Amino acid sequence: MDRYLHALRVLRPTLVLITVAWLAPFGLASRSAENTAFDLAGNPVDPLKASGGKVVVLVFVRTDCPVSNRYAPTIQKLSAAHEGKALFWLVYPSKSESSEAIRKHDREYGYKIASLRDPQKALVKLSEAQITPETAVFDGKGHLVYHGRIDNLYEEFGRARTVATTHELEDAIEAALSGKSLPASSTHAVGCYISDLE
Amino acid sequence: MKPGSQALSGFSIFLALAFAAGTARQTESARKLLSRPADSNTQVTFDRDIAPIIFHNCSQCHHPGEAGPFSLLTYADAKTHGQQIAFVTQKLIMPPWLPDPGETNFTEELRLSQEQIATIQRWVDQGELEGNPADLPPKPVYAAGWQLGKPDVIVRAEKPYLLPASGSDSYWNFVFRTPVQHSRWLKAIEIRPGDKRLVHHANVLVDREESGRRLEKEPGDGFGGMELIIESEAFDPDSHFLFWKPGSPPYVEPDGMALRLDKTTDLILNTHLQPSGKPELIQPTLGLYFTDKPATMHPILLQLENDRMLDIPPGDKKFPVSDDFVLPVEASVLAIYPHAHYLGKDLLAFATFPNGTKMTLIHISNWDLNWQAVYRYAKPVDLPAGTKISMRFTYDNSNENIRNPNQPPKRVVAGNRAVDEMAHLWLQVLPRESTDGASDPLVQIQEALALHHIQNDPENFEAHYNLGALLQMKGDGAGAVEQFTQAVRIHPEDPIANNALGAVLLASGRVDEAIPHLNQALKGRPNYFDAHYNLGNALAAQNDFAGALSHFRAAVRLNAQDAGAEANLGSALAEMGNIKEARRHFERALQIDPKNELARENLEQLNRNAPGRPN
Repeated sequence: MDRYLHALRVLRPTLVLITVAWLAPFGLASRSAENTAFDLAGNPVDPLKASGGKVVVLVFVRTDCPVSNRYAPTIQKLSAAHEGKALFWLVYPSKSESSEAIRKHDREYGYKIASLRDPQKALVKLSEAQITPETAVFDGKGHLVYHGRIDNLYEEFGRARTVATTHELEDAIEAALSGKSLPASSTHAVGCYISDLE
Repeated sequence: MKPGSQALSGFSIFLALAFAAGTARQTESARKLLSRPADSNTQVTFDRDIAPIIFHNCSQCHHPGEAGPFSLLTYADAKTHGQQIAFVTQKLIMPPWLPDPGETNFTEELRLSQEQIATIQRWVDQGELEGNPADLPPKPVYAAGWQLGKPDVIVRAEKPYLLPASGSDSYWNFVFRTPVQHSRWLKAIEIRPGDKRLVHHANVLVDREESGRRLEKEPGDGFGGMELIIESEAFDPDSHFLFWKPGSPPYVEPDGMALRLDKTTDLILNTHLQPSGKPELIQPTLGLYFTDKPATMHPILLQLENDRMLDIPPGDKKFPVSDDFVLPVEASVLAIYPHAHYLGKDLLAFATFPNGTKMTLIHISNWDLNWQAVYRYAKPVDLPAGTKISMRFTYDNSNENIRNPNQPPKRVVAGNRAVDEMAHLWLQVLPRESTDGASDPLVQIQEALALHHIQNDPENFEAHYNLGALLQMKGDGAGAVEQFTQAVRIHPEDPIANNALGAVLLASGRVDEAIPHLNQALKGRPNYFDAHYNLGNALAAQNDFAGALSHFRAAVRLNAQDAGAEANLGSALAEMGNIKEARRHFERALQIDPKNELARENLEQLNRNAPGRPN
């Protein structure tokens, strides 16, 4: 699939220090059961195919990342605000996080958004995500129009504002809904690395 | 009469910082080290190279139940977070340690060498190899539960605080009623703040005057606020930093430096809490450890500050605040605590010895309120009399300081809220005992400090108050009246200052002038034992025994264990002719304190006047 190949070629220039280990073994495989995300019951799910032409928002999180956890109320609020127009999915990219742990986590943090496991990093690659929390916005045609931070609450790891002053995810969703273009199709997300070895 | 109030501010914080030049430079040199080609040939393994670094510097917070969001105890743990570890160590974000390397060493320094940082990076670059298990050092073992063993007494906050799921940081104070029935000596307090992932730091303040309780809506509720002013008895001789931050073992005071805990002492836990994304209940617990060894050494907390200089225009990136204090006596510095809020950028303290040489006491070139701490010197720093202690802080009130609570930036002045600023430097110093019979070095330091603060700011209420109390202690009634008068001028309704002024006027025989101030004190605080006691005495001095009686009754109701109040109540009753009840109160006074002279003499007189009269 074109989208896939495209995603693989693009390495974000900001992260020069990092060896992205999972890139190497990845060939040109098409999406199959070996290269897909799963719902918490273990069924393969393709959130783009399931979108019915709606805008899709993937939010990458981890159960043990304090930065993505702190965003839980914001993520839930954004999802509710765009209900019916944009489909939100929580994506847990860590192999080691079980469906059971994720269910418990979603309950504790008041998430009502459907969760996916992405142990093979299929959606991670599709979204060019590096960090939790990081988001990816796909327009109605399934094109990746934005990936990056939710807002600018964190400037760097450990350096937070008292309140966010820019709201990139919200802007991206609005742009995708209205077909307008964005000033930046990607921003630098702050949080925990997805691509750590497991 | 209990003169004296010492203002002790609590602590506060947030996070963030425009990368100060110091950090950027260090990161840069770390990178240079990384690129050294010779390094790339050596195979780095977890068991041999990484585990010793992690076990020594990370695991104390990164183990179950501690503040770290995940554990770092095994190869699997480290591998799962390897890239994150490389990133945060290289950025000097972890382990969290603010002071720059300098001339003095602190206990529990958490600072990786550039070589260690480079080693971690190489380990990640090489694929995070495990290595040979034979190389693996023993895994650190952490005691479950209380780190110092079972406490002598455990106290739990009466009511939990509900931390909202989101929003900015919260500052909450829990008031612990001390459970001791008689005075004890405390050698350690183990603070268990609740979920350590939520509590950024916490700080215990000793409250001997129920200052905290008065701020609670309902008893046990606790109260909000970032900074506290706690009244204390005339210069509490047991001045300690009681500070908790993640990963630090509880501090045990050395022999002879215990803290006195009375039946009436409250402990206030001032906490800085960060929302986690879900609502959380916080209900801290304190473990108290006692000792039989009373305090023989009396350190004091010496504060440099210049809040009056804090008037930071918006956009100013390098606003300076300074203060200098000359030590009047020889003393050792045991610990240091620099404090600013979110605009603080570069915090420096140094000493200039009488011979002109300088020594850095602490330098934090990249201040971060979130990781503030009390720093204890590995070896006390001895300062001779005449040493000048200097504070040099700078503040960044520009847009570039992302922690700036005002967007866009606006003028910021001193204050207790998170959006205000502070310029405080606290030092715990132990004065050298005077050997030549000169006056108490503690009093000399306090007096010099109060004068210094008044010089900095003639409107400094606490300094006038404290100086008044010191002068009163030294028997300088006229000087005390002058200082308390200044304090009352600044805060006309303050009950403590009014009581102190009333008391010292009364002691000088100026009864008519004393009474309005004592009444004012009771207006502000109707249940003020000292003010009732003093007003009772003032009215008695005017032969208004009915008036005196009602105030002594109030005093006894407020504190049933005070022999002086009982004896005075007895006297007023006797003057009113109520001999039977007077006798009962004299006897009660002697029961509390067999040495109470007023009660004994009055009782003897009653017996002379009416020998053999039954009770």
